[in-house]
Amino acid sequence: MDWNCTLTEERLSDFIEGALAPEDAAAFSAHTKTCAACAKLVAQVSGLVSRMQHTAPVKESPLLVGKILEATLGPRKRKPVSPGWFGWIPAIWHPRFAMGIVTVAASVVIVLHASGSPAARTSLNPVNLVRGANRQIHLTYAHGAKFVNGLRVVYEIQSRLSSQPESMSEPISVPATRPSGEPQPGQKQPSAEPHEKSQTVPHSNRRDGRGGAEMAVMLPNRFPSSSSISALRSSL
Amino acid sequence: MRRHTRRVFNLCYRFTGNSTSAEDLSQEVFLRIFRTLPSYQSSQGAFPTWLTSVTRNLLVDHYRRSRRDRMTDSIDDAMPQLEERHSPARMPDKLAQASELSAQLQRGLARLSPELREAVILRDLQGLDYAEIRGVLQVPEGTVKSRINRGRIELARILEEMGVRPA
Ligand SMILES: [Zn+2]
Repeated sequence: MDWNCTLTEERLSDFIEGALAPEDAAAFSAHTKTCAACAKLVAQVSGLVSRMQHTAPVKESPLLVGKILEATLGPRKRKPVSPGWFGWIPAIWHPRFAMGIVTVAASVVIVLHASGSPAARTSLNPVNLVRGANRQIHLTYAHGAKFVNGLRVVYEIQSRLSSQPESMSEPISVPATRPSGEPQPGQKQPSAEPHEKSQTVPHSNRRDGRGGAEMAVMLPNRFPSSSSISALRSSL
Repeated sequence: MRRHTRRVFNLCYRFTGNSTSAEDLSQEVFLRIFRTLPSYQSSQGAFPTWLTSVTRNLLVDHYRRSRRDRMTDSIDDAMPQLEERHSPARMPDKLAQASELSAQLQRGLARLSPELREAVILRDLQGLDYAEIRGVLQVPEGTVKSRINRGRIELARILEEMGVRPA
């Protein structure tokens, strides 16, 4: 075949990728051996192609995935894929629910304190306890929510893809790990249980008339003297 | 999730040359994916190809929009270059070299026409095959091949003009 410079340009990618018929490839090579311009072009372009193919992907900002999750799942109230499965996970990490647990724990400590347990006397100031716990809860909640959302994105994409021909209404079976038969535990009235406990636990100690026991009763509802508690309550 | 995000982000970054735009566009891509996920059919191609198509269509929209804006505002053009000049300085040698190469490549790509630019990015930076690119660009395979070929040759000439030493 009579090769020329225009053909070199036209078939250059085919040549680089080994897609030329053998006789064309031979004519291509023969031409570039005698044509300096084509030889230079071939060297340049094949160098560029191999360089590009070895270029590492640019790293996106570590915040991008989070932003995308927020944009896709966060503010927009989407219908959960399967409320039975995901519904309870955020409920557990929800600050109000977690605060309930901590409130119970604080009550127990205060009761111990009031009943004269020497170990608890100085180290377990309830205000510090609650303040520290509040911070911890928000961190835990942030991590938990992020994890759950990440799961949801992956899950949602994959379940929609895998259940293409069938109905999408029940893409996954509800696992048995769900805590109770009650729907959405802790989300409708997250503090109902803890309140109840904090009022019943110290009740047996009420006879002592100790201040600590009184505090334990008041903790969930009234504790106006402590600024951290009111800040905490407004944040719930 | 992270793999898909990186893919989309890189396509956007290589096409726009601006990481802020690329992040905004990536976010838009996934929003659109989520809205249209229920209507996605596997006959539209594999999921990654579909994801790339959605990204590419948004990039075309973005390009048209920013071309209109550029008539009145030229600040955007200077942004990616500023960004690149700042970043390699603090990196270790080898990384800085790779990043400098990557930045030169980026400046070269920016001078390529969008049609050739997207073809080269999809083929050589995203590693798609011709059939996949045909699916994304919705043009015949012959057109895909000739755009990739012309894009590579033109980019090589642009880089030479910029004084970039051939590898
Ligand atoms: Zn020649």
